[in-house]
Formats: sequence, structure tokens, C-alpha cells
Amino acid sequence: MTEAFRRLLRTPQGALSIALLILLAAVCVAGPALAPYDPEQIDFLGRFSPPGALHWLGADQLGRDVLSRLLVGARSTVPLALLATLLGTLGGTVIGTVSAYLGGRWDEAIMRTIDAVMAVPGLLLALLLVSTLGNGSFNAAIAIAVAFAPGMARVTRSVALTVRNQDYVKAAIARGEGGGWIVFREMLPNVVAPVVIETTIRVAFAVMLFATLSFLGLGAQPPASEWGLMVSEARRYLHQAPWIIIAPSVAIGLTAIAFNLLGDGLRDALNPRDER
Amino acid sequence: MSASWLLRRVLLIAYTILVVSLLVFGITQVLPADAAVTLLGENATPAALEAVRLKLGLGDPVWLQYLRWLSHVLTGDFGVSMRTGQPVGPEMFAALSRSLLLAVGAILVMLVLAVPLGMLAALRQGRLVDMFTSLVSYLGVSLPEFVTATLMLMLFADRLQWLPATGYVAPLEDFWDSVRHLVLPVLTASVILIAHVARMVRSETLDVLHSDYIRAARLKGLPEPVVLLRHALRNALLPVVTIVALDVGYLLGGIIVIEEIFALPGIGRQLVVAITARDLPSIQAGALIMAATYAVANSLADMAYAFLDRRIRYD
Amino acid sequence: MNPVLSVSGYTLDYVTSGGTHRALDDVSLAIAPGEVLGLVGESGSGKSSLVWSIMRHLPRNARELQGAIHLGDTDLRRATPKALLGIRGRRIGMVFQDPSTSLNPTLTLGRQLTEVLVRHRGFSKAAAWQEGIELLRRVELHQPEVLMRRYPHEVSGGEKQRVVIATAFGCRPELILFDEPTTALDVITGARILDLFRRLRAETGVAALYISHDLGLVSRIADRVAVMRRGKLVEEAAASTIFRAPAHEDTRRLVDAVPRPERRLVFDEPSGPVLLGARDIAVQYGRKTLFRPAPPPATRNVSLDVREGEILGVVGESGSGKSSIARALTGLAEFRGGIRLGKRPIAGVAQMDAAYRRAVQIVFQHPDTSLNPRQRVGEILGRPLRMFGGDAREIPRLLEQVRLPASYAGRWPHQLSGGEKQRVAIARAFAAKPALVICDEITAALDVSVQASIIDLLLALRAEHGTAYLFITHDLNLIRQIAHRIAVMRRGELVDLLAVDALQGESVHPYTRELIAASPTPVG
Repeated sequence: MTEAFRRLLRTPQGALSIALLILLAAVCVAGPALAPYDPEQIDFLGRFSPPGALHWLGADQLGRDVLSRLLVGARSTVPLALLATLLGTLGGTVIGTVSAYLGGRWDEAIMRTIDAVMAVPGLLLALLLVSTLGNGSFNAAIAIAVAFAPGMARVTRSVALTVRNQDYVKAAIARGEGGGWIVFREMLPNVVAPVVIETTIRVAFAVMLFATLSFLGLGAQPPASEWGLMVSEARRYLHQAPWIIIAPSVAIGLTAIAFNLLGDGLRDALNPRDER
Repeated sequence: MSASWLLRRVLLIAYTILVVSLLVFGITQVLPADAAVTLLGENATPAALEAVRLKLGLGDPVWLQYLRWLSHVLTGDFGVSMRTGQPVGPEMFAALSRSLLLAVGAILVMLVLAVPLGMLAALRQGRLVDMFTSLVSYLGVSLPEFVTATLMLMLFADRLQWLPATGYVAPLEDFWDSVRHLVLPVLTASVILIAHVARMVRSETLDVLHSDYIRAARLKGLPEPVVLLRHALRNALLPVVTIVALDVGYLLGGIIVIEEIFALPGIGRQLVVAITARDLPSIQAGALIMAATYAVANSLADMAYAFLDRRIRYD
Repeated sequence: MNPVLSVSGYTLDYVTSGGTHRALDDVSLAIAPGEVLGLVGESGSGKSSLVWSIMRHLPRNARELQGAIHLGDTDLRRATPKALLGIRGRRIGMVFQDPSTSLNPTLTLGRQLTEVLVRHRGFSKAAAWQEGIELLRRVELHQPEVLMRRYPHEVSGGEKQRVVIATAFGCRPELILFDEPTTALDVITGARILDLFRRLRAETGVAALYISHDLGLVSRIADRVAVMRRGKLVEEAAASTIFRAPAHEDTRRLVDAVPRPERRLVFDEPSGPVLLGARDIAVQYGRKTLFRPAPPPATRNVSLDVREGEILGVVGESGSGKSSIARALTGLAEFRGGIRLGKRPIAGVAQMDAAYRRAVQIVFQHPDTSLNPRQRVGEILGRPLRMFGGDAREIPRLLEQVRLPASYAGRWPHQLSGGEKQRVAIARAFAAKPALVICDEITAALDVSVQASIIDLLLALRAEHGTAYLFITHDLNLIRQIAHRIAVMRRGELVDLLAVDALQGESVHPYTRELIAASPTPVG
């Protein structure tokens, strides 16, 4: 694992993504301590202050400090996006592996159903679910997890099927190993790497989806300093104070880029063929 | 492409619609909404509410309600909107046609930009064009539509005043004005597609360029333009058909946000409105129509692929 | 007479992140008009690099240090890209290894054949089409008019390779490079391609460089043979003498490694009881669905038995069902019919208990996929040892048995060469102390010298443990060296099952006779 990490750092995408993610993690942990102001402190005199010495990234329509809101807001986006992706991966991996293991008619039926569910766009499915579960950050995360599960199931299954047809798995079957050993010791270690890569890239999607739900008013609720919500609230002032929009937009973009880069870096680093 | 292959596709579409209808009906059943209250308003008398419930069959078992709804849907009757009192079907299909304008526009823009960009990046691997493509790809897939849309509005509608910010004009009404209104939504919708497809085209082209038959073509003494255009292009573009088909799902999702921001009265905006208003028949119809669109688009892509790639035999 | 091709003092390096690697070292050779020079070497010997040097198609990291390459009077190293367009395809033709990848899947065969005629011979499209039909007729293809309009996937491998050959001959080049043109084909198809090569060569008198890993094959079709090893040309001799009197030690090793049916490696005659009997084995993959009928069965009613300590060879071409027999006997595929292990009947996969699975082991064809990339060699061997009553302390002994150092227990599969991986796979099979090991094309992916050492190892293990082998292969010469009896399969059916001595006899199936005729034995 350390070897793979070293290889990851050697790729340009890997190094850049790790740098961005360390920054992101620091902001998630120490955001409130770093923030120069209380993110919810309203200051009517300071409304729409442009970026300057007092407010590095300016102030918003209620005079709240944009930088402070960004720093605190990382907490309300990134951990939930991670949680959503992990839950979705977990569900999808179980469905995909079981489907590949059962094979035959069951596999066919499960996959056709997954394909059918995937005809509903992820965002729409998430919207429907949130409207059922009720607005809020945590429900948004659950909705994203459910929306992700079919796609992850598909990815896991195709990887698992490839692995299942490898000769070392056949060798295990031929010597009479039980299902547990075959799935957990022979197959799973070889399925993990591609699934991890896919999961990483999906975290970027989750960050974007989560912000989108908040933007549509179904995720985080005011006065939370969630990034998508910040963009949504600032939209009306795009003429007067573009910085209120640009700052959280950049934050969302950088976070997604970090996970996309990490996924690509891992793809190169985890390929066992290059492990020489 | 034989008859049995076509039959299989049709059955798959039917199965998709069946699964989606169950899914959507299931979710909307749990929605905390009382259709009777939505229809009559909060001040209705309990007796009136009860009468409506009886009329709508809301007291029946869920499966019976589902079957009744499905059988109506199959005859083209999607029910009546709780919000407007109008039949949902015609409203949704009209909205769909406006959304398709946006979606097809985005796919066309994507094809025009992403395919040459991806191929150029592959041919000039490691050079400036390649790095530019890679940057565009990373930016494109990392910015959600609402961010791209807002930034576009800020630049083209607010600062430069080149284009109208929001609204929709039917093409038959005033063609050029219609186009002007569509430019920003179409561009926004195409950004992620461009990013994704350019990347795929690049890697597919690289694979093809490293293939034995391209080497063979070069070693037959064919000049490079002939090698690229006659031998490489078609093979590199084939998988793009599949990628685009899968991206239609993503595009339909993106449309929801984009229509909301640009106040474009398409099916996505109808759905957001319906969800906020808890207008069950509209939600069900909208989601079902969207999923069916996706399923049909995918089947069309499969057919296109089969037509282009003669190696695939559907029996 | 001036040579058609002359290479002199040519040295080529590849620059990689790990340093510089010498691919060709001071190589000199010449091909006279009408001559066929065979170039033999194992993988990595530099024969492909020489081809790319001649064709001027070197990768970017190649560095040409010295030497010259001349085609007639043309200095190829000085040829401009524009001049090369008139040389490739026009003055040097080329036939590639695998016709299924060297033909463009989206263009018709006719298009790919005629484009060189239009380009190099100045034909109009219509004239080129007529000439193309003529060329296909000359490579003995039936209905050339129809074939011209076909796509590569619609014709067989042999037909594809004939189209490639027609293309190479089409512009009447001075020289044709053949890069292992029969390796990707079945034995009989390959033999017919070789017949065609001989005929066309006699008709046209074209000079050729014929590259192959198979010394036996090359010695039969070339005038002279050059042997390469690690970038150096170690020996060059007349084809008729190279087998009889190899001068260089490396050549001798290659000559010794070539399987020759007359040189038996097994001398005993097992007379023990039947170890494993199979009756009417039928394997069927896939089933009828709503939309398509079931595919034809992979094997039908195959019956064979293996005595204790016996080596039973199973030969057949790809798709003959020989691997399906292996899969049925190891419980990897559902089958109909009966198996008997000693006196115990086994009616199906469900009845294959630990005792059966221990007694019958399998080694697979591809060394790269037969070991789990996420397990070290020690784990790979430790598991079957523990399963079948041994313990992990036997790992060093097991490795030693397959002639690998004990320290290999700590290695990952990707750190091993192909031959070493196959040794580990053999060790894994022998960890169970089996009575029968099924070898499914286990040397097909290996070089001949590695193949010889693996065969040597198998025979030593048999001498020590008395193991029986069911040895599946497409190489009749190889199996005639080691098998006691040979089963010949075609299209899922057993056509012959006879003692190895009886192969030359009268009572063999015509197909078997054809297979023998198609397996080139070395001259001399």
C-alpha cells in the first residue's frame, strides 16, 4: 500500500490531488478556527463589501464574511459527500458482487433491472428521494447514496465477472475451495482497486450533486454556509457582487477537481501490471 | 439487425418503463402529500375531502392504485395536474419537446467541439493541445451545471450583454430570438459532455493509433492523411456513439438545473415545480417520460452502433 | 549479384526510464535476389526490432548508433519520409503475424487490397478492383469477387492471411518481410499458408526475410537461416545444415529444444490399472434463451481413460473441444456422462469431493492469469498445501522440486518471468500430491527453450511421483515425444485414440493423417 502511495505521488495528477486534499482536510478540521469572522454574523453596513483588507473575499448580501463562510462551509459539504459515496459504493458493491456470483438468469434479471433504474437520471432520482425524505443535508446524502448504488453495482459486477474468469479463480474452484474463500480471498482483492478508483471519481460527483441539491433548495437549508446554497442565495446579486458567487464556485470546482485527479492518479498507481 | 433483435430492444424499453413506473409510483406513494388536501386546499371540510378520496380511489390498496394508474398511462392518460387542474400528458410532452431542443443542441455542440478536440489531443500527445484538452476536461467534469450556468450568465448576459439572460421563445415564433435564448442553456449543457467525450475520444484514438491495422496501413506506404481519415477515424469514433448514449442520462439530469436557472419551460423545470408543489400526477408523468426518453435514446444509439460496426451481429 | 537487402554493422538502443537497453548489436546480413533468409530467435531476441529498422518504423525512444541498411542501392536510413511512402508497400511488402488484428475491421477486404494498387501502381479504382480479384485468385481463394466485398470478421483466419499475402505481393516488391505469418493460425491452416508461400515464391522469385521463433519450420522453407539471441546474430548457415551441424552453442540449444517426434523422451510403458475413466462426456456452454438458440455443444460423447503414470496426449485445433474436456474433468464445467476415479463413479460436479479434487489437478495455459496477482508465491502454494494435509513448511521443498529458489516464496507473480510463473503453477498442482495432472496447453505461451525445460521438469516430477498426465496441446511433434497414447479431437468429437507408435500406421483417421502432414518436422 505504501508502495502504491509512493507511485501515486510520482504522477503529476496524484501529487496535485494530494496537495489539494490535504488543504481540504485542513479546512474541514480547522475551518471554524481559521475563519476570521463568525460566518453567520450579519453586518448591514458591510453589505456587498468587495474583496479587500477587511474581507479578503468580500462580504455577501447580509454583510457576512465570504471567506469565513467558505472555510466553515467545507464541513457541511465534503464529509457528507464522502458519506454518500461510501454508502452508495457499499450498496452497489454488494449488489454487483452478488449478481456476478449468482450468474445466469439471476444475474441477467438483476442487471436488466439496474439498467432500467439507471434510466432515471441520478439528479432526478435524488430529487424525488429528497422530496420524500424531507429537505436537509443528511437526507440529501442518503438520496445521493441511493442514486449512486446502481452505477456502482454495474461497475463492480463487470470487474467481478472479469476476475471470476481468471485462471487463478478457476484453479481455486478446481481444488474445491468454498464460496467464501473464492469471493473474499481470490476475487475481492482484485476487485477492490478498480472499485476504489471509481469511488474516488464519484466523490467528485457527490460534491457536485450535493451542492446542486442545496442550490435547488432541497439540501442544506439557510442560514447554513453550504457552498451550493451560497451560490443560490447570491444569484440575485450577480451584477452587484460577483465575488459572492465566484468564491464558492471555485471552492466546489477545486474540491471536485481534487477527487477527479486522485481517481486518475490511482488508476495509474494501482495497475498491478506496472508494479515493477 | 433482425426482427428478434428489434423485439428484444422493444421488450427492454417496456421493461425499463415498467421498473421506472414502479419506482416512481413507489416513491411518490411515500411522499408526505394528501392528494385530496392538495386539490381542495387546507380549508376543505372533512366530508368534502372524504368524497374526493373516494372518487380518486385513495382508500384502495396501493397495488390497485398502481394498476389503475398504469393502465391509464398506457392509454396515454397521465391524469390531471393537482396544481393547474389541466391534463398532465399534453403539458409534459410540450415541455419535453422544448427540452429536446436543448438536449439535441447540446449534443450537436458537443460533437462539433469534443470530437476534433479529442482527436487533436491524441495526435499531438503531450503537446500544448493535449494539455489544453486535459485542462478543459478536468474543469468541465468538476463544475456542476448551476455553477457553469451562473458564470455564463454573469459573463455573457450581465457583463457583455450579448445574450438574453432567461426565458424561452418558440422557434416558429421568432427563429433568431429563439436561438439567442437557447445559446447559453445549450452551451452550459454541453460543457460536461464536451469534457467527458473529448477525453474518451482522445483515449479511443490513442488505442486505434497503436493498433496493428494502423501500423499495417502505414507500412503499406499510405500517406498519413489517408491513414488517419480512412483507417483511424471511423474506428476511433465508433465507441463515441455508446458514450454519448450513456451521457444522455447525465444530460437529462443536467437539464433539470439548467432549465430552472434559465427559466426555460422544459420538462426538467416542470418536474422541479411539480416536486416543490407535491403535484403527484405531474411528478409521475415527468419522471416516466424522462426515463422513457433515455431508454429510447439508448436503443437508437445501439442501432446506430450496429449499423456502423459491422462486426456486431444481432441475432 | 548485388543483394536485395543488406544490413551492416547495425546497432540499435532503446532508451527507457530504467536506462539504455541494447536491442540490436552489430547486426550484419544480406539477402540475395530470389533468396529466402529465415531469421530465428526467441522473444526479446531483437528480430522484431530488425523488422522495424528495415521498415523505418522505430518507436520514438529508439537510438540508431551505427551501421547501414540498404535496399538495393537505396540507403534506407537516409530515406526521407516522402521517399519511404514509395518504398513501403511498393518495394518492400510485409505480412504480419495476426491477420485478425492487422486488417482494419471497418473496411472491406477489397478496399484494403486495392488501396495499395491505386497508390503504388497507379491503377484506377475499377482497374484495381479487377486486379484485386486476380490477386485473390492467385492466392487460391474461391469466389474472389464475393470475398472482395466482405469485411474481415466475415471470413476465416486463413482467408484473411491470404488477403494480406495477396496485398504484399500485389505491387511486385523486391523484398517481402514475413513476421511469423502462421503463428496465429491453426496447424493445418498454417501449413497450407506455407504451401502457398512456397508456390508464390517459386512463381515470382521474390526475396524474403522470414521471421519465426520456430527453427523447425524455418529450416524447411528458407535457403539460409540466421539465429538471433539477445540482439546479436550468433550464427548464419544454410538451412540444410543448421540442424545437422549447429556451430554455435546457442543454436545447438535451440536445435535441441525443437520437438522432434522421432526423439522420444519417455521410455517406460505403464501397465497399471486405469486411474481415471471418462465415458460419453458432453459439455454444453450457454443455453437456449428467448432470443437465440443454444450454441452447439463443445464436446460430444468423448470417452477416454488414463492409466496410472500414463501420459495421454490430447491434440486438436482451437475450438476442437479439448479444453472443455479439461474443464469437465476438473469440475469447472457442467457435463453429462460419467467419470470413474479408480473404482469410484463420479456422476457430476457435485460428487467431486476433496479426495477427487486432490487426485486430479490442473495447470492452465496462460501464466499471466493463472496466479493471483495479489498473492505472494508463498501464499499461492501454502493454501493447497494446507488444504490437502501438508503444511507451509513444505513450501521451500516444493519450490526446489520445480527448480526455483526457496526465496521465491516472498515474490509477487509480476516479478516472475513466464516460465517461472508456469513453474509456480506446476508446484501448486503438485502441492496436492496428485495422481493425475491435466496440462492445458501449458507451454503454448512460452519460448521453445523454456518449453523444453518445462517438459523436462514434468518428466522429472513424474519419475519421482509416478504422476499421470493428461497433456492437451496443438503441437503434435511435442506430444509424440512424451505421450504413450494420443487422442485426436475435432469439432467436439474424438476421432482417434491410439498408441503413439500406431500414428504412422494404416488405421488412423484421415484427419489425424492431415494433422501429421501439417506438423513441420525439421529437415536434416
